[in-house]
Amino acid sequence: MSHTNRNFMIVYVGLVLLPLAALAGILRAGRSVKAPFSVDGAWNLTPDSAQLGSLPCGKALTADPEKTMVLSQSGKSFLVAFPNGPRMAANGTLEGTTVRASLTPSKEWAMETGCGAGRHLSLVATIEPSARPKSMQGKLSVEDCASCLPVEFHAVQQAAPAREQDH
Amino acid sequence: MPNLFNLVLQITVILAVCRLVGSVFRRFHQPRVVGEMFAGILLGPSLLGWVAPQFSAYLFPSSSLGFLNALSQVGVVMFMFLVGLGINPRELKHQSHAAVLTSHVSITAPFVLASLLALYLYPRLSDDSVSFSNFALFMGSAMSITAFPVLARILSERNLLSSPLGTIAIACAAVDDVTGWCILAYIVVLVRAAHQATSIWVTLGGILLFGVVMVYGVRFLLRGFEHTFHKHGGISENLMALMLLLVLVSALCTERLGIHLLFGSFLMGAIMPKEPKFVRYVLDRFETITITLLLPLFFAFTGLRTNVGLARGPEAWGYCALIILVATLGKLGGTMAAARLSGMPLRESVGLGALMNARGLMGFVILNIGLDVKIISPELFSMMVVMALVTTFMTSPLLELVCPANLLRREAGGVPAQDVSVPGMTLKSSSGSIA
Repeated sequence: MSHTNRNFMIVYVGLVLLPLAALAGILRAGRSVKAPFSVDGAWNLTPDSAQLGSLPCGKALTADPEKTMVLSQSGKSFLVAFPNGPRMAANGTLEGTTVRASLTPSKEWAMETGCGAGRHLSLVATIEPSARPKSMQGKLSVEDCASCLPVEFHAVQQAAPAREQDH
Repeated sequence: MPNLFNLVLQITVILAVCRLVGSVFRRFHQPRVVGEMFAGILLGPSLLGWVAPQFSAYLFPSSSLGFLNALSQVGVVMFMFLVGLGINPRELKHQSHAAVLTSHVSITAPFVLASLLALYLYPRLSDDSVSFSNFALFMGSAMSITAFPVLARILSERNLLSSPLGTIAIACAAVDDVTGWCILAYIVVLVRAAHQATSIWVTLGGILLFGVVMVYGVRFLLRGFEHTFHKHGGISENLMALMLLLVLVSALCTERLGIHLLFGSFLMGAIMPKEPKFVRYVLDRFETITITLLLPLFFAFTGLRTNVGLARGPEAWGYCALIILVATLGKLGGTMAAARLSGMPLRESVGLGALMNARGLMGFVILNIGLDVKIISPELFSMMVVMALVTTFMTSPLLELVCPANLLRREAGGVPAQDVSVPGMTLKSSSGSIA
């Protein structure tokens, strides 16, 4: 092997093969890194409709017969949307299996339903990790309203669409 | 049924905005494609949807996006065919030690750094529906890719295609893209296999068989196109239609095999005959409609999926800055270090690193696949799109700073630019090209 080739081999091992070995090590080490529980996707809510209707700000949710709630997750935080329901600025966080979200109805919708401007709905739920499909059990309540009784709900995650059909 | 008025209105607005912003970017010595990519972001929720939500909802109602996506995907299928067509595997076989080392380091360095970054980002921006290895390998693929057409365009504008810097940059970018796509195909197979009844071994066997048939069978049949071209000085419309059909069939095969449409079209381009005049002829037939009409739709669709508003607060922007830093350090730094160790002068080493750091459209394509198969969240997608834009945007100014065109041309002996077979590279008609 010529001097040039030997030098090339040394540099190649140092800059390519060793980093590849390091990459394998990183991938192995990464197996122990835990990501947050997945809550991403559409969920079917089954609250007590009568209770929900009596809850200020909860009326609009009763209009959607399927009561679909879509969570768009990124790590421990997520956005909440009600595709067939009220327009809300809603985001939440995930701690272990506990979901917490604050739902702020849009001004127009708050005025329309008498919800009251500046009011927030609070969603707190616990996910049942072993259930298939995934489900959560929790409460919807109005923040800063002592007289408003919280509404209990159960939600089941809808089956995700086949991934190859997503694009 | 699509709302035709709405669809045509969308296309009109997208083309107008892309051409306008592309022209503005050209004034600042940026390739047109960078402006068009940026225009796509402006049309999405990051700007238009933020400042004029009602107009945005009127122009891009969610029910219409499926049609826009379908058109844009056809454009990307054609574009990937043209990219594959521009890559000549024979040229890669005769690389110097410097090119071999630089191209391999320009893949491994960003891959390793991206995987290290993945250790930090995985618990923060992902969830347990994605395995760490898929997440890390995807981040590596997205960071190690190079915008082959953008790089070639920048070199051609500076008359550097025949210079040592230009030759090595083209070779490295081709190796990077082929490697990046192979790794991405592997990840997509893994992710999709987890949701399919078919065994992964059947899928892998099918892909291997398809590859063998394409490389050792179909490739030789494709020589008929080249023979006809030389015999008649062109190719009939029927043969061009046949070529198009083959691209689509190949794309359908890879989609059916569980990878993605784009791999099939890329492979069909890669195994096409590589005689420069033939390649130029085919590019001329396909690129105008692809690059001026269909790709802007892809940029707009990418922009509609990108919402920089999802990165809320200093923490999220910190992640975004970290992604840009690691991507640049891995690609620019890794390439520069390897080129320097291979004996390339410091200035040209930095120039090569700057060129390889441009991810451009190829980055967008990979990121869209990642979002489609749900390896990355919309928030991380938006951050990665910003990274792809920033690293592509910084290429031209950085190159001008470290390798002023006049100086390099003088050193290269004023070698004139040659006609290069890369999509969007028609030197004589830059107005209709990708750049």
